[in-house]
Amino acid sequence: MTPEPAAPAEFEPRRLHRSGIAVYAVNTLREAALPLIVLVVISGLGGGLDERALLRGLTFAVLGIIASTALGYWRWWTTTWWVTPEAIHHKTGLIGLKETDVPLTRIQSLDLEQGPVQRLFGVYAAHVQTGGGGAKGEIVLAAVGDDDLRDLRALIADRRPAPVAEAAGPERRLERRMLLVAALTAGQLGVILPAVAGFFQLVQSSLDEDDAVRLIPHTVGTAVLAAAGLLVVAWLLSVIGSVVAFASFTVTREGDRLRIRRGLLARREATVPVERVRAVEVVEGVLRLPFRLAALRMEVIGHAKEQAAAQALFPLLRRDEVRPFLDDLLPELADDLDGLEPPPPRAARRYALPPAALGLAVSIVVWVVTPAGAWALPLAALLAAYGLARFRAAGWRLRDGRLAVRTLRLARTTVFGPAALRESHELAQNLFQRRGRLADVVVAFGKRTSARVRHLEVETAGALFNRLGGS
Amino acid sequence: VTPEPSRTLAREARWVWRGEQVLGWGVAVVVGMSVAAQLDGALAVLLRVVPVLCLVVAVVLVPSLRWRNWRWEVRPDAIDIRHGTFTTHRTLVPMLRVQHVDTRRNPVEQSLDLATVVVHTAAGSHTIPLLRVTDAAEVRDRIAELARTAEEPAPMVVDDA
Repeated sequence: MTPEPAAPAEFEPRRLHRSGIAVYAVNTLREAALPLIVLVVISGLGGGLDERALLRGLTFAVLGIIASTALGYWRWWTTTWWVTPEAIHHKTGLIGLKETDVPLTRIQSLDLEQGPVQRLFGVYAAHVQTGGGGAKGEIVLAAVGDDDLRDLRALIADRRPAPVAEAAGPERRLERRMLLVAALTAGQLGVILPAVAGFFQLVQSSLDEDDAVRLIPHTVGTAVLAAAGLLVVAWLLSVIGSVVAFASFTVTREGDRLRIRRGLLARREATVPVERVRAVEVVEGVLRLPFRLAALRMEVIGHAKEQAAAQALFPLLRRDEVRPFLDDLLPELADDLDGLEPPPPRAARRYALPPAALGLAVSIVVWVVTPAGAWALPLAALLAAYGLARFRAAGWRLRDGRLAVRTLRLARTTVFGPAALRESHELAQNLFQRRGRLADVVVAFGKRTSARVRHLEVETAGALFNRLGGS
Repeated sequence: VTPEPSRTLAREARWVWRGEQVLGWGVAVVVGMSVAAQLDGALAVLLRVVPVLCLVVAVVLVPSLRWRNWRWEVRPDAIDIRHGTFTTHRTLVPMLRVQHVDTRRNPVEQSLDLATVVVHTAAGSHTIPLLRVTDAAEVRDRIAELARTAEEPAPMVVDDA
């Protein structure tokens, strides 16, 4: 292959695009913003808002902007990057000097990100990745113009044997309607709870004790109302968060890599080498299960000692579209959602009994402790039903070296992973299972993804364990 | 198909575990006694007796059972570990997923000439505890060597420009 004359094979040290000053300045401001806002709010509440306080606040703001611009300029001035035939180098430092070299052969991808500031100037933040994408790159060039970007791309493409970027393959885009549905049904408790807790803390820290006492709800009714209001606010926040994160979500298969673009305010572009995708998770959330909708996530393994990261492959799909989607974009891991083998019928009570026993214990304690605690008794029945639901959801299949395992926690999750890509596998059996001749199989695909089937016949489990090891 | 692992941990491991059980249940005994001193009746007797019984059982039975059940083996293609008293676990870690290995020694292990081998993969780590120091070093070097030579069936990047 004769190289095009366009791209130089090495660069002299160069600075970032001038807009990097603004990027660094805004970063500095943003880091300092939250404590400052809290400070201003507290002082404002304490002394009341008069003209002098306003003027003082304004002065602080102007001073802050000047200081952060100066810092941004200094940071920009001291940041250089260059390329030698072997590696890309990055040197930055305000006080301590930090120099990073990434060998060109180790570069897995060049991810682009465009925050509001970068978009204003028409430049990109370029993340030089050696891992599976998603997280921050080993080298982050905060502002890169089109010319530099072209040089960089050519340079990295040169080093790779496979054709990249040019051969744009199948593509899938999240429609606007589906984005809305995805946002409305996201309901991520993990996002909501910290938000609520944070809100409470903010309220607590920004109020004097007298105010707080005055604000404490006087009746149970108002307390419930307040809690419901908070939940609604938290839910709205999570909806907005999902829209911002998943807007115009697009996946493209380009040769041996997946390119993912997404985001409303900050546009992100990430490239994931397919060989680093160890497993796909089809997640049918509680709110989505009735509508036969699912989200796709994937476990991407990092390079050498880097940690694995689970990331979104697609925010929302109809359940029956999952297989065609995977066939198109990730045939290496495509598999069917249905037709899994269930655990034996006699295992049903083992799924139901432990949660039922827990429920009974809790409800008895509640009953004894509180005078009107009898309402807690149905808890056992509820948890038993949950256990049976887990039994009905459980299933597994190993076909052509591809493992599929379905489990239910809150969401129903199906893991697809080739047996050859597992990190380890395990056969587990407790005392009760030994008496009942049952056993569990656990297959780990990464830090976040492991497939576990509980209570299989001990012979089935043993055979599965051996087949996994045989490949 | 996969043969059971055959190697055991160092015999001194049982003494380490006995010590751990004494410490753990010792706390329970002390707490039980001091709470019982405030009470009387059947509950006080129970609080005095039960932790002591647990301590005796835990010290006499658990360590030797655990030691008997602990088996491991390093094969060219995989690390094979079987352990557990109440729940038995049999774990297979393919050699080509091993990222690095190290040995660790806490003060107790140092005093008994023992060491723990930790095998790291991208999904987490697996430990083979309480081996003789010389065995541990040998196992660590062997795993490191095997992990270096174990290769993905089809290497993706071939680059010698």
